[in-house]
Amino acid sequence: MTTNGAARRVDQFTLDNGLRLVTAPASTPQVAAVNLWYGVGSRFEVPGRTGFAHLFEHLMFQGSGNVAKGEHFDAVERLGGEINASTSTDRTNYYETVPEHALDLVLWLEADRLATLREGMSQEVLDNQRDVVKNERRQRYDNQPYGTALERILRLAYPEGHPYHHATIGSMADLDAADLDYVLDFHRRHYGPDNAVLTVVSNLDPQDVRDRVERYFGAIPARPRTAEAPDAGLTGLLGGPVADRVVETVPAPGVFLGYRVAPYGEGDFDVMHLASAVLGQGQGSRLYRRLVLERGLAADDGGAAADLLPFRYTPSLMLVNMIAREGVSGDTLEEAMIEEIGTLAEGVSDEELERARAILERDHLQTLSHPAGLADSIGSCTQLFGDPELAFTWPQRWSSVTTEDVVDLAKRLLVAENRLSVRFDPESAGEPAAAPAGGSAG
Amino acid sequence: MLQTRPDLGAPEPYTFPKPRRLAVGGGTVVAIDVPGQTFAAVRLVHQAGGASEPPENMGVAALANEALEDGVHGNSSLAPALERHGAEWVSRVTWDSFVTGVDAPVTRLRDATALLAEAVRAPALRDEDVLRRRDQILERFWLDASVPSTLATRAIGGQLFTGRYATPLGGAPERLKGVTPQDVRDFHTSSIAAVAGTLVIVGDLAGVDLEELGATVFGGARAAQAPASTPPGPAPGDLPRVLILDRPDSVQSALLMAQRAPARTQVDLPRADGVSDVLGGMFTSRLNMELRERLGYTYGVGCRFDLRRDSGVFLISTQVDTETTAHSLTASLAEIDRLQREGVTDGELSAVRESNTVGLPVTYSTPRSLAGALVEMVVHDLPEDHIDRLRAGFERLTAADLAEAAGEYLRPREMVTVIAGDAKRLEGPLSEAGAGPVTVRDPETLWS
Repeated sequence: MTTNGAARRVDQFTLDNGLRLVTAPASTPQVAAVNLWYGVGSRFEVPGRTGFAHLFEHLMFQGSGNVAKGEHFDAVERLGGEINASTSTDRTNYYETVPEHALDLVLWLEADRLATLREGMSQEVLDNQRDVVKNERRQRYDNQPYGTALERILRLAYPEGHPYHHATIGSMADLDAADLDYVLDFHRRHYGPDNAVLTVVSNLDPQDVRDRVERYFGAIPARPRTAEAPDAGLTGLLGGPVADRVVETVPAPGVFLGYRVAPYGEGDFDVMHLASAVLGQGQGSRLYRRLVLERGLAADDGGAAADLLPFRYTPSLMLVNMIAREGVSGDTLEEAMIEEIGTLAEGVSDEELERARAILERDHLQTLSHPAGLADSIGSCTQLFGDPELAFTWPQRWSSVTTEDVVDLAKRLLVAENRLSVRFDPESAGEPAAAPAGGSAG
Repeated sequence: MLQTRPDLGAPEPYTFPKPRRLAVGGGTVVAIDVPGQTFAAVRLVHQAGGASEPPENMGVAALANEALEDGVHGNSSLAPALERHGAEWVSRVTWDSFVTGVDAPVTRLRDATALLAEAVRAPALRDEDVLRRRDQILERFWLDASVPSTLATRAIGGQLFTGRYATPLGGAPERLKGVTPQDVRDFHTSSIAAVAGTLVIVGDLAGVDLEELGATVFGGARAAQAPASTPPGPAPGDLPRVLILDRPDSVQSALLMAQRAPARTQVDLPRADGVSDVLGGMFTSRLNMELRERLGYTYGVGCRFDLRRDSGVFLISTQVDTETTAHSLTASLAEIDRLQREGVTDGELSAVRESNTVGLPVTYSTPRSLAGALVEMVVHDLPEDHIDRLRAGFERLTAADLAEAAGEYLRPREMVTVIAGDAKRLEGPLSEAGAGPVTVRDPETLWS
């Protein structure tokens, strides 16, 4: 079983205000990776307020009580450091990788925006970042072929009013409606040390790191109340087959299939993770070999057709996506994909499962091979599961999964009753699919 | 009680790890030992990149590179073989190089490197596999070009150069259709299989026999010869000018401003990269602070030099709302003008100097980035202390250096602006932007 030799060297501390600190050694010298996972994501958003957790992430870079607008980025960039943040359904994380001597500065910057963001906030800042996020939405969703697929998938997968019914980016109308009071209140409700995991990967002594963190974060009070997440409980199959058919300017038919699977962290999630690798990860996967190589129905994606969208607090999704070859209709490709997915219930060989395990382990090890990736994995495992060691031992979860486990679960889950389909077809249907349609951008 | 902003002490001086270098047969192994790093990066570097392709075979290097993934048994057999070792195939063609390799756990380094060796030296390259790959690449060309930023980027070469650089690196549909499996085999035999190349290895090398790995990969292949290089000519037409690639009803425009730059050997990197950093290489750069943080026009904007053995390109890129496209262009030109007239601030100078020196431990904290630096040294024949020399160059930079570099390297009057967006809403405003005459083209006609 693959483990990392550093597994026994993770140290954990909890400050009096509830901040959880985890330290781990870096594999290269003179570097410190800092990662703050806050337990807030778009699952906390209510209808009319979608996109807010992510918009808020942008605002966290716009200055706080003792840090001017732009100063956070400037401070880290002039250290040659890496800096960014991301928001998902289940969390918002902020991360920096800097030369080791700058660890204190990063801790100070993070502590300042945690404690005093509200003092740096203004209507002007909000208006500017709202425009930035709207352009992010255009760039990543509205102006991309198939760009709205994820939003459509989530709408089919989770019922109206469910906190995972909408995508993290939110809607233009809701972004327009965001107001300053709500921003301030959001910070009050969700941004407390008791709602964060701070991970530091470096070669500094763990006790030294703990002392520094205490110095900068120790005086920040915990939130008076824990925020309550909207109910995300959901049982049973998806209620399929359900479909969304889109005709718009795309270069070729695109098929997106989704199946509800277990929440991230449950044993059945791991089984389906392996199932998705058997089906659609790597050039040894079934979908690649059958639909790309043998039948020539799908565009060559290098073997990246299937994966899980991991949700901790509600059923996750297995997504399968392929684009049709020239002259292949969306119907033909979709039928072929469903047929191929169906074969999983008929049996999986030991060799297929071994390959799937090797691929997932490889990806996992690759993530741990750089300080920022290691810090992120530890933050995830600590925030979501309360166990930082899981970052190192996760591959063990795959080792006990058998081919029977995969087949049994495929029989139950990879069925029409649990399936959603989002299909994009080019406007000029009937013409050669992958050639640029007249007037489209090709 | 919150703390005040901490003063940072001086950073520990950084020195790029000294690679081990050994000659094995006709090739060279260059390796960096990173104790405790259990995931290794292995790269085999050949000099046969896109720039050296003959006009009738444009795209053959990229096609051959992909076709190697069919392995010694054909039918995409390489990846599954590697996958069983927890290894991943990593390969790419640039204008100046043909790189193959694997990322693998150090415990499987021998097996993974043996698979790399046979895939590079003795691939099947069967007709049916090469044709399948070629057809897929041809179709993907248009799939990829449906992404506006990709479409605009691909059009740049034809606006700046004649010759090979006028066509995208991977080739373009009409010509690529004519590249045959035999062309691929001929290219592979003469430029790849027969040439030893340089093997780069980074990871925990305790117990790794570098000489054995080198012998496995090089076999009896001959030593590489220095690549020939002929500087390309400019594309015809007056400069500056604007080209709109019509994408009706786009809600955003992919905006690229590009100019020719000197060859890599002719560029003083700290001065050129320094001025690029100030203009658009960082989040806090002028273009981003203006277009994103003040005007809210974009999710992000950046610029960079793309330097090759015999030529170069300087490129500004962003994606902006359709309505703000023309103003984004004029605002960018105004920032270049201001930089050339006023030079850089002390804060900008120190940001450039510090970010390119004290940040090196961050830049080189991964096996992939260390391997990437070694590959670059091989491709451009740089000394093994290249990174340390570069660092010293940045430490010496002055405000006068950067002001001078802004005049020397930024050429707004020689720029071609390429925009993938909605022509009917863009043409009017852009024709008044002062960036030259505007032409509209249907993207379909670019490479047919």
